[in-house]
Amino acid sequence: MTGPLLAVRGLSKRFGDGVTLLDNASLEIAEGACWIITGDNGAGKSTLLRALAGLEPAVAEAASFAGRAFELAEYPDRVRRDVVYVHQHPYLFQRSVAANIGYGLARRGVRGDERAQRIAAAIAWAGLDRVRDVPPARLSGGEKQRVALARAWAVSPRLLLLDEPTANLDATARAQVLALLRELAMAGRTVVVACHDRELIDLPHAEQWHLADGRLARRR
Amino acid sequence: MLDTTGDAFRLLFTGDSELWGIVAVSLRVALTALAVAAPLAVAAGYGLAVGRFPGRRALIVTLQAMLSFPTVVVGLVLYLMLSRRGPLGAWQLLFTPEAMIIGQIVIALPVLAAFTVAAVQGADPRIRDTALSLGATRARAACALLYETRFAIFAAACQGFGRVISEVGCALMVGGNIAGSTRTITTAIALETSKGDFAQGIALGFVLLALAFGVNIAFALLQGRGGEP
Repeated sequence: MTGPLLAVRGLSKRFGDGVTLLDNASLEIAEGACWIITGDNGAGKSTLLRALAGLEPAVAEAASFAGRAFELAEYPDRVRRDVVYVHQHPYLFQRSVAANIGYGLARRGVRGDERAQRIAAAIAWAGLDRVRDVPPARLSGGEKQRVALARAWAVSPRLLLLDEPTANLDATARAQVLALLRELAMAGRTVVVACHDRELIDLPHAEQWHLADGRLARRR
Repeated sequence: MLDTTGDAFRLLFTGDSELWGIVAVSLRVALTALAVAAPLAVAAGYGLAVGRFPGRRALIVTLQAMLSFPTVVVGLVLYLMLSRRGPLGAWQLLFTPEAMIIGQIVIALPVLAAFTVAAVQGADPRIRDTALSLGATRARAACALLYETRFAIFAAACQGFGRVISEVGCALMVGGNIAGSTRTITTAIALETSKGDFAQGIALGFVLLALAFGVNIAFALLQGRGGEP
């Protein structure tokens, strides 16, 4: 494929009370690229990622995914199937870890043995064998984050949007999550990670971007 | 008083066919009404909770106001509609269990819908986002949200059941309290008390209380098995 995987031009998000979080922001994310987006609290990092995932109403002058134009405001299913957003505090459905990981696979029509194999692979990838059948209420913050990563990894999205994946984790859990992020980057997955300046995440080949005053700028 | 209560227990435990027939009619009418009302109310409640359209707020307020709608007024309106000269008179449903079911559907709908609105509005917004982001369609995401809030939805169903099984006004007006056909627990209690036959009234009162407690205990047990949200 030539050209970026995701390109958005003139992305804006204004709230009813006049607050502007994204002001004509533009970005082009190449396939296999790894982006780190930093910014202060309230800079709009989460809003940006949610808008790119079609979860936050926003307007853009133009948007395209894998070379095909689409309306950001009407986020088509074909884009949604290839883009997965992982929340800063991921929500795990009230079912086992394995069932959580199988949710996205089921929505993509993956059934039977293939689903079981992909769930097992995701569990092994994230090191979750010990908690495979544990209900989410009994998981630690780090385990929840790893389940959310495994759940996203299992469906092999073309673009993975991670919102502050290491925030509020202790040192051990943070190291475990970072190890998974590094594997994603090394495997050539297209990943965009939003993080706070003081929790700056360093990933192989990562492009560092900064969001301030509603605009994205590349860090030198 | 003690003698009457003793007679009531005797009626309960000797399998009095008239008494248990009344209980059966009550349960059949209430559960049928609930089975029809629940899917409609849950769908409407979900739509009102997540939809964004003009008049939505007014609809929610109206729904909440209908929670205190007197059942006897529902009965009156339904009576006028089903009576021979009414717009639905040709259906010949007045004084039948079907008329009572229609009345109880009308009574249960706002209760179930209002509680569903509250449950969905109070649900974690990440549920829908997570489902959508993992590739669910909007309908599938709605199912995920309703599944995650199933205990609140079941609580709504319990409330609806409690309201219809214990209402007397509508059942009396459109059912007519006909023995063996439309006589329910509540209409029978009213009738037997007015006749001075307190034993059957007390026995039926115990059944009504047992049903109310039973539903709530079943709900608590189910909630316990489901674990923390």
